[in-house]
Amino acid sequence: MVKTKAPSKKKQQKRGVDFKKIRRKIGRKLPPPQNATNTEIKSKAIILPEQSIASEKAGLAVSKKGLTLKELLQQTSHHNVKVRKDALIGIRDILLKFPAELKLHKLAVIEKLRERISDDDKLVREALYQLLKSVIFPGCKEDSKGPINSLMMTYIFNAMTHMAIEVRLMAFKFFDLLIQYFPSSFLLYAEKILQNYEDILQKNKFYLQDKGRLKNALAGLVRCLSLLPCSNQEEGDSLSYNDATRASLHAFDLDRSNKSTDVICFAGLSGVVNKLTDLLPVLVSCFQDFSPLIHSMAHLDAQSFDCMLFLLQSIDLVVRFFGHASGKNQDDFQNLSSAYQKNSPSIHGQSISAVTLKKLWDEFPLSPVHCLSEKDGDRYFMLNVVITEIFLQLSYGSELSPALLERFLEFIESSLSEKIFNGKEAGKVHHEKHLIPLVAFIPKIIMQVSDAWKSRILQAFTTVFQNCNPESPMKLACLTAVEEMLLPEQNLEIFDDQITWIRELPNLLVLLGDKHPLHSKAVLRLQLRVGQAANLNSPLAKEYDNMQYIQQQQYTECDPTSGVWNKQYIIQDFYCTHLNGTVNYGPFMRLPRDIQELSVCCLYYFSFLDKVLLQSLASCCICHVLEPFILSRIIEVFHSAYKAGHIQIADYISFFITLLSRFQVYPEKIYPTEKHEGKSNRGTFKSVVRAVCSCLSQIGDDVLVLQMLEKIVLDEISHKRPVDNMYGFIRLLITLDSKPTRLSEQTINRLSEVLPEYFLDVVNNIPEEDEESTKLLIQQTRHYYLLPCFFLFERSNTLLNQILKVMESLIRRNVSSLLPHHKGALGKDQSSRILSIVSVLLLMHGDLKMQKLLMPCKTEIRNILESMHTLESSEDIMMTIEERHQIRTNVHQLSGETAGRLWQFDEQNSVCCKK
Amino acid sequence: MTDLELVIASSATDAGIGCWDLHTGAEHLRYRSCSSPSHGLTCVGGRFLASSQLRESKSSSSSILYWSWNKPQVEVKSFPAEPINPLVSNSDGTYIAGGGASGDIFLWQVATGKLLKKWHAHYRGVTCLLFNDDQSLLISGSEDGSVRVWSLIMVFDDLLRGKAKQPYEYSFSEHSLKVTDVVIGYGGANAIVVSASEDRTCKVWSLSRGKMLRNIVFPSIIDAIALDTGEDVFYAGGRDGKIYIAALNAVADPNNNFGLHILGCLSEQSKAITCLALSTDGDLLISGSEDGLVRVWNTKNHNIARIFRYAKGPVNNIVVIKQPSLLSTRGSVNAQVPSVKRHGVSLAPPLEKYANSADENDYKAVIGPRIDPDRSVEASYISIQTLNNQIIELQRQGSSAAAEMEIERLKLDRSRSMQMILQWGKKFQSLHQFCVTELLDGEQAGNA
Repeated sequence: MVKTKAPSKKKQQKRGVDFKKIRRKIGRKLPPPQNATNTEIKSKAIILPEQSIASEKAGLAVSKKGLTLKELLQQTSHHNVKVRKDALIGIRDILLKFPAELKLHKLAVIEKLRERISDDDKLVREALYQLLKSVIFPGCKEDSKGPINSLMMTYIFNAMTHMAIEVRLMAFKFFDLLIQYFPSSFLLYAEKILQNYEDILQKNKFYLQDKGRLKNALAGLVRCLSLLPCSNQEEGDSLSYNDATRASLHAFDLDRSNKSTDVICFAGLSGVVNKLTDLLPVLVSCFQDFSPLIHSMAHLDAQSFDCMLFLLQSIDLVVRFFGHASGKNQDDFQNLSSAYQKNSPSIHGQSISAVTLKKLWDEFPLSPVHCLSEKDGDRYFMLNVVITEIFLQLSYGSELSPALLERFLEFIESSLSEKIFNGKEAGKVHHEKHLIPLVAFIPKIIMQVSDAWKSRILQAFTTVFQNCNPESPMKLACLTAVEEMLLPEQNLEIFDDQITWIRELPNLLVLLGDKHPLHSKAVLRLQLRVGQAANLNSPLAKEYDNMQYIQQQQYTECDPTSGVWNKQYIIQDFYCTHLNGTVNYGPFMRLPRDIQELSVCCLYYFSFLDKVLLQSLASCCICHVLEPFILSRIIEVFHSAYKAGHIQIADYISFFITLLSRFQVYPEKIYPTEKHEGKSNRGTFKSVVRAVCSCLSQIGDDVLVLQMLEKIVLDEISHKRPVDNMYGFIRLLITLDSKPTRLSEQTINRLSEVLPEYFLDVVNNIPEEDEESTKLLIQQTRHYYLLPCFFLFERSNTLLNQILKVMESLIRRNVSSLLPHHKGALGKDQSSRILSIVSVLLLMHGDLKMQKLLMPCKTEIRNILESMHTLESSEDIMMTIEERHQIRTNVHQLSGETAGRLWQFDEQNSVCCKK
Repeated sequence: MTDLELVIASSATDAGIGCWDLHTGAEHLRYRSCSSPSHGLTCVGGRFLASSQLRESKSSSSSILYWSWNKPQVEVKSFPAEPINPLVSNSDGTYIAGGGASGDIFLWQVATGKLLKKWHAHYRGVTCLLFNDDQSLLISGSEDGSVRVWSLIMVFDDLLRGKAKQPYEYSFSEHSLKVTDVVIGYGGANAIVVSASEDRTCKVWSLSRGKMLRNIVFPSIIDAIALDTGEDVFYAGGRDGKIYIAALNAVADPNNNFGLHILGCLSEQSKAITCLALSTDGDLLISGSEDGLVRVWNTKNHNIARIFRYAKGPVNNIVVIKQPSLLSTRGSVNAQVPSVKRHGVSLAPPLEKYANSADENDYKAVIGPRIDPDRSVEASYISIQTLNNQIIELQRQGSSAAAEMEIERLKLDRSRSMQMILQWGKKFQSLHQFCVTELLDGEQAGNA
C-alpha cells in the first residue's frame, strides 16, 4: 500500500510545478524545492486489515477450508467445475456447523444456489441436490415458504426445458424435492408442471436406457398427483387443532384458505383437468411400452417394475381426481354411469375416454410367462392390484363387456382368498399390505354386482376379515368396509355375513387387548354405529344383543389347521370375568379414557342388558383402578338405559346395591396412609352415593321404591359392613323416606340394633387427637357420618329411644358380665367402648337439631349416666387408674353437657306446671 | 303489548300446563290433563297450545292435545299412528311436525289436519325437533346420537329426493349417545346449530359448511340449551343442577375451572335442570328443574329474578311466547269465552292418523294464518286464485329488481318530459318571436 501511494504523491507534486519553466542543465541535479514535503513514511508496524487468515475470521463462520459463506457463494459460479462442487460442499459444512447462518441468509443462499440447478455438470447438480435435501430445506421448513417457492420454481422450470436431457431429468428430481418440503407449490404451478411431465414422457427415446432417471421423474409425478384433491382423501380432523386456538366461531380461517381443495376447486380446476386429460393417454402409452418387456424378459428387474408401478399409480391418481371432480357435480355413485351418458359435458365424460384405458384393461391381468420366483409374483400382484384399483375407481362396469368385469371380479376374489398365494408368513404380510386398497372398494362392489358374485366376494372378504391379524392395518380397512356395509340404509340383504361380522367384534376387542388403542377404538366405534343403527327387532339389533351371550356352536368350534380349540369371546370378557371366584379384568380397565367412554356408550344401545354383563361391569366399577369419571359415566349410561327400558328393574337395583355394598373405601381411616400413596377414594364414593341415590329415587314414586328397597337395604345393613358402605345405605334410606317415617316397625327395630354398632365404628375409625389443627376436621368427619342418622331420628323418635336404650344396655352388659366372676380387668376394648359411647352422645348433643330431639329422651340418657356411674364407682372391677380417670372425666363431661340442658328443661317444665 | 310475555310450562306427571306472565309473575289459567314428554309442548302460531302426550300404559293409544287459551279443558284430541315425542310448529302455525318413537317424522297441516308427509328420519326415536328461523329447514335430534337437517323442499320433492344421495341435507353423527336438545341461531341456511347429548358434550355445527365447529365437554350431562340472542354464549342446563355458560365468541381459556370454552355457571341448589328458554329480549333466562320450580334468571347479573312454583313433579317443557290478545288479563277470560262460543268454531280439526294419497295436491282453498283470533275462521277463507294474484303482486312490489325497473322507467319518463319541456320552450320562443315580428311588422305597416 505504501509503495503504491508514494509515486502518486510525487506525480502530484510535479503537476503543481508544471507552469514554471524550468531550465535544466544536464549533469546537474535539481536541488530539492524548499516547499517539498517529506514523503517518507515511518511507522513502527504496518497493519493490513483483511488479509491475515488467523485474525480476521475469528468471529465468522467458516468452512473446513477456511472460507466464509459469502466467498463460497461467489465460488459457486466459478468456471471450474471442481471449485463449484467444492464450494457447494463447503456451504454444506458451514450450514451444518452454524445453523444460525442459514436462518440469516436463507434467501441470499437460495438465490445464489438456484442458478446451479441447470448446471452442466452432473456432479455439481448432485452436490446441490444433497445440499438442498439434507440441510437447506429441512432448515427452512417452518418459515414462510412463499419466497423460497417462487425463487426456486423459476429456475426449475428453466431447467425442465433445458436442452440436455440429463439436466431436465434432474430438474424433475429437484422439483420432487421441493414438493416434499413445500407441497403447496405444486398447486400454484400445476398446469405448467404437468405440461413439463407430459413433454418429458413423450420423448420416449430414453426410456429403456435410463430407467433410473425415469423412475425418479415418475416418483415426482406420483407425489404431485397425490396432492390433487381426491374423494378418498377426506378432510382431516382439523377441528381438534383449531378448536382450542380459535376464539371466534365465524372467524376467517387462514388454514382453510390455504387448503389445497379450495385452491384447486375454485381457481384452476379447468386448466388442470385439461392438462390431466392430455397426460392420461401419454401415461397409458408409456405403460404399454413396457409391456413387451414383461412378456420377453425372464424376470422383471426392479427398476422397470418401479417405473410401471409409478405409471400405474399416476393413472390411478388421475382417475381418482376425475372421479372426485365429477363427484362434485354428480354425487351419486350408482347413477354415475347413466348420468355420464346423459349429461356428457360433465368432466368425467370429457376426460376419460374409455378407449384410452381400454388398452390398460387389455393388459390385465399381467401374468408372467415363465415360472418365476416369489418376489416376481409379488410384483405382478402389486401391478395387478393397482390396475384393479383403477378399474374399480372408474367402475363403469356396465359399459364394458361382462367378460372384463368377470375377469376383475375373479382377480379380486382370488386375491382376497389368497388362492394366488402360497401362504408364507412374511409374504402374507406383504400380500395384505397391497390388498388394503382393494378392501376399501368392497362395499361398492357388493352394491353393484350380481347375487352370485356378491356371495362369492363376501365370502372371500369375510375370511380375510376373520383371518387377518387383529392388530394389522388390514383389520382396520376391513372394519371400515364392514361399517359401510352394516348400515341398514344400504339394504344389502346380507344378514348372514353381517351377523358373522358382528360376532367377530367382541372377540376382536379381547384379542386386541390394551396394546392397540387405535384398533380398539375403531372396533368400538363400529360397535357403537351398529348399536345406533339397529332398528328395534331387526336381526341386526338381535345380533347386537347377542354379543352378550356365548353362541353355542361357536364355542365349540375347532380350528382345523392348528387343532387348537378356538375360544369365542363375548362382550363381557372385554370388561371383566368371574372364574371360580376370582375376578379377571379385561382390557377395558387398561385402555385410555376416551376408549373406555366409547365402550360405555355402546352399552346403552343393547336393547336388553343381561345380568351377567351388569355383573361384570359392577366388578369393574368397584375396582380401584377405574377412574371416577368413567365410573360416573357408567352410572349415567345405565340410568339412561334403564329409562329407555333396556335394563330390568331388579337388575338395575341390584347393580346399585352391589355398588354401595362392595365399594371399598380406602384408606379406612380418615388420614391417607402410605399404603395407598396418600390418596383416598372417599370423595369418589361420596359422589357414587349421591348418584345412586338420585338414580334410585328416580325409578318411580318414593313410597313404592322404598317398599321395594327396604328389605334389601336392611339385609345389607345387617351384615357388618365398613363404615362408608353403611353410610351409603343410610343415605339411601333417608333419600327415599319422608318426614314422618314410612319405615316399617321391623326395620326400625333392626336399625336400632345395627346403628349403635355403626356409631361405635365411626368413633373408633376416626379417633380423636389432641392436635388443635385436626380437631375440627375430625369433628366434621364424624358429624358427616352421623348426619344421615340424625335425619332418621328426626323422622322417628322411637328409633332414637330404642338406640339410646341399646347403648345403655351395652354399658350395663359390660358391667354385669364382669361383676361376679373375674373381678379382674375390664378389657381394654370394653373401656374404650364406653368411652366411644360417651363421645357419640357428645356428638349428638353437638348438633342443634338433635338437642331438641334428645329432650324427650332424658330418662334414657339419665339411665346411661347412672349405669356409667355404677361402673365407675364399683370397686369390683379392676381398672387401671388411667382408665378410671378417663371414664370419670368423660362421664363428667357428658353429664355436664346433658345435665345443663336436661335439668334446665325439667325446671322449665315444672315452672310451667306450677303456673 | 309487545312486552307481555308468557311462560308456559308442562311436565311428564299429570300436573297440567302452567302459564305465567313473565314480567308480573301473575299466574293465568292452568290447562288440565297434560303429561307431555320432553320437547312435547308447543304453541301453534300464538293461537292455541298443543302437546304430545306420554302413554300411560302400553294399551292406551298416544295422543296429541290442543288447548285454546280460554279453557282449561282439552279442546281437540288427535291420535297419531305412533307415540309422538317432540312436537313443534312453524312460527305461523301452519304446520305441526312431530317425531315418533320409531324414528319417523310426521308433518301435518294444522288447518286441515292432513298428514302431509311421514318419513323415516332416524334409526331410533326422535328426541327433539326444530324449525330454523326462515322455516325452510327442520332439524331433528335422535336417540341414536345423530342430528339431521332436513330441507322441507327436499322432503316434498320426490324427484329431487330420488336423485340425491341421501334424503337429508346433513347428518351429524359425532354424538355417541342420545341427543337431548338442539337449538339454532339466526341466519337461515348459514346459521349455527348447537346440540347437547347424553355423552356430556355440546357440539356446535355450521349449516353452511356442514361440519362441526366446536365440541365442548361439560362436567355433567346437558339436558337443555338456550342460545343467547347475540349468539355470543349459550346456556346449558346440566343434570347437576347448574346452568353452564359456554362461549361461542370468546377466547378459550384452558385453565378454566369448568373446562374449555365454559365461562361460568348459574347455580342454585336445585335438582337437575330439564329445560331452558330465553325471553325475546334475551335478558331473562327461564329454567325448569326436576324439583318442580321454574326459575327466572337475570342474564346480566346472574341472579334469580323470580320463581314460579309449578308442581311437585319435574318440569320438562318451558315455552316463552308473546301474550296472545285473548288472554290479556285474567278477569277478562270469562268475558271472552262466550265470544268464541258464539262463533261456534272449533280450534282446528284433529290431526289425521294416516296420509291419504288419493286427493293430494288438490287444494281448493287454504286457511291463512289467523292473525287476529277474535275474527272467525271462516272470514279468512280465501280462494287460491286470489292468493296467487296477491303473491304475484307482492313479488312485483317486493323484489328489488322490480324496484330497479320502476326507477328505470321513471328516469325514462323524466328525460322524456325534459325533452318535451325543451320542445315546448322552443315552440314558445319561436311563437313569441313570430308574434313580436308580426306585431312589429304590422305596426310598421300601420305606420307606413
